[in-house]
Amino acid sequence: MNPVIDYHALAPEIVLSVTIILCLLVDLFIPDRPRLVPQLASLGVLAAIIPVLTLAVSGTDVSMFGGAFVVDNYALAFDGLFLVVAYITLLVSFDEIADGDYYGGEYYVLLLTSVLGMVMMASSRDLVSIFIALETISIPTFVLAGWRKHDTKSNEAAIKYFLIGVLSSAVMLYGMSLIFGFANGTKLSVISEYSAGSPPALFAVAIFLTIVGFAFKVSAVPFHFWAPDTYEGAPLPVTAFLSVASKAAGFVALLTIIRFGFFNSSDSWQPLIWVLAAASMTFGNLAALRQTNIVRMLAYSSIAQGGFILVPLAVAGDVSGPSAWEAVLVYLMIYAAMNLGAFAVVMAVSRRTHSTEISSFAGLGRVDSVNAVMLSLFMFSLAGIPPLAGWFAKFVIFRAVFDAGTTAAVVLGVIAALNAVVAFFYYSNVVRRMWFDEAPEVVSSPRPASVALTLAIGITVVVVVVVGVYPEVFARLGQLAFASG
Amino acid sequence: MWGQQVVFWLLAIAMGAAAIGVVRSRDVVHSVLFLVVVLAGAAAQYILLAAEFVAWVQVLIYIGAVVVLFLFGVMLTRSPMGHDSNRLDNDQRWAAGVVALLIFGVLTALLVDAFGGQQINFGPELVAQGSPQAIGSDLFRTFIVPFEVVSMLLLAALVGAVVMARKD
Amino acid sequence: MTEFYREYLAVAVLIGAALALVGLMLGVGKLIRPVRPQADKYITYEAGSDPVGGWGQSNVRYYVYALLFVIFDVEAVFIFPWAVGLEPLGIFGLVEMVVFILILVLGLVYAWRKGVLRWA
Repeated sequence: MNPVIDYHALAPEIVLSVTIILCLLVDLFIPDRPRLVPQLASLGVLAAIIPVLTLAVSGTDVSMFGGAFVVDNYALAFDGLFLVVAYITLLVSFDEIADGDYYGGEYYVLLLTSVLGMVMMASSRDLVSIFIALETISIPTFVLAGWRKHDTKSNEAAIKYFLIGVLSSAVMLYGMSLIFGFANGTKLSVISEYSAGSPPALFAVAIFLTIVGFAFKVSAVPFHFWAPDTYEGAPLPVTAFLSVASKAAGFVALLTIIRFGFFNSSDSWQPLIWVLAAASMTFGNLAALRQTNIVRMLAYSSIAQGGFILVPLAVAGDVSGPSAWEAVLVYLMIYAAMNLGAFAVVMAVSRRTHSTEISSFAGLGRVDSVNAVMLSLFMFSLAGIPPLAGWFAKFVIFRAVFDAGTTAAVVLGVIAALNAVVAFFYYSNVVRRMWFDEAPEVVSSPRPASVALTLAIGITVVVVVVVGVYPEVFARLGQLAFASG
Repeated sequence: MWGQQVVFWLLAIAMGAAAIGVVRSRDVVHSVLFLVVVLAGAAAQYILLAAEFVAWVQVLIYIGAVVVLFLFGVMLTRSPMGHDSNRLDNDQRWAAGVVALLIFGVLTALLVDAFGGQQINFGPELVAQGSPQAIGSDLFRTFIVPFEVVSMLLLAALVGAVVMARKD
Repeated sequence: MTEFYREYLAVAVLIGAALALVGLMLGVGKLIRPVRPQADKYITYEAGSDPVGGWGQSNVRYYVYALLFVIFDVEAVFIFPWAVGLEPLGIFGLVEMVVFILILVLGLVYAWRKGVLRWA
């Protein structure tokens, strides 16, 4: 009667849960060793990667609870992405959290709980699981965004993020409840069967509401307005986490629910995602052009990058092969590396200058040439210039567009191409300021970047350069993830 | 089953009126009390649909706990509880009303289009479906991973709330 | 099915009786009491002393208690369906429920150790 549970397949979730509990216990009972919790947290994340690798090697798909929870290559690829991103986020957090007036132990507990939700999300094939995973991702981050309790900007960041997050959950749940009412089941396979028939108009509205909920989570225009304020007010490591991990999890949810649930009703979701993609790219880029603060610029740039990730989804219904799905995965992996890297350098520089204004980066090339080179690499990669990884991310997007070949797809491709050009201006503006402008007089209180921060920059820059030169690495991963499906 | 119809409409009208009271009331505490009526009405509607367990969850969690949290939250604020009409009102109320009516109209039309004329077959199996036994069986057979993750989620929510509420 | 509704009819009758009783008591009171309005009678009763005006902002500590209550209320809701189906769920259900409760007890331990339950 009881369900058969494959503990090997659940191992990443179990390892993370145990790590979270250990972190909390250590924080409670060994308070005089504050370095222990972050060390434990990073060890736990690395330990959770091991079962992901062994599962990938064993190569058999595990489906549990009547197909509500599936561990296949698709889930494992995203598990790996989330865990590596979590590890890098931990690396960039160490100094910020230890130096600032923060609660150390709780920070890592909440961050890892959010990661637990992401790892669960990758395997969820059922509306209830997807919703619980999404809430597990979001709720800890609401608190993390307001971690600087005595800073009104951080309070504003948290409250805006929280209100929008709750609103989007409500909209999404209403959509999901209607879908459950139609399909008489919460499993995506059941919904897929139902949508193959001829569902009434309300079903399209239900799909619309569900996708709008996710659009808030991934801050797609016009549901993006919380993002710049939240990103600016939150502590920088949290901003990096929100703009990469949390966003990626939103896209994974969207990808899963469209691929396994709504795929047959492509008339309902394709136009909606088309509009979201075009608006996000265009508005995100135009707004980024005017920013004077690099964190706000990166916030708008991440809205625009999110628009690019939506492009293959918007044409997925017209692509016969898996190239659209692959494009989402490959783009997310590359975006994670270059955006995390950019945030890590911003953190390293702002530790010295105590400012995130773009003007404070002027003349960085002479003051701190290593970080200036790194930031230039990440900026050029974000702009999509070869031979850095960003070009391959753009390439897979356009390949998916050409595979689709419809008029709508081509128009969207043209919009994407125009936006890639616009984006080049603001990314290169930062680089120009760093190398060609005079450095401002700053009261520099040198706090050297720690080993952890340097390691984070190192890992991300290696990914950005190596994948740029040998894109086959990620391309192969993308093929493997969607091989059977 | 005209008896159900009559009870449904009585509850629906009471809920609608109380919901208007929630947004119209100038006193936040009154709004919360109106909300209790709406939530209790929803619980009664669940009973009408033979979803017994959900109905009592609604009473326990929403009326029992969430409303208490609302009242504590109101008491935490600095604003006087009096009838400060400026704070709880907004120039955009007519626009909000139009939007609300529009959504109501569209959803009603679509709901009637999708489900109009369909009958729910009330019987003992429907009651069994809504019983705690059936929910427990689903919870432990299909949704065991979300169930355990919910406990981690509640733990994180507690830790986060304590961090936010601590004064140091 | 009608039996299900008949059981809840009793609940409805009780609710109706409760409302009627309140109406009856207040109504009878209104009919037989003398009416002599006085300004002092309209002052909020505060245990004998004169009320101090204004709005006292309550302590944030109360909120933590309310939150703990909500979280353990949610926990209780999950225990009900497990408790009524204890036998078919067996040892597996027991283990899962113990894990669930232990994780939440850890939250209580956390609140305790961090001193938010202390009232000083």
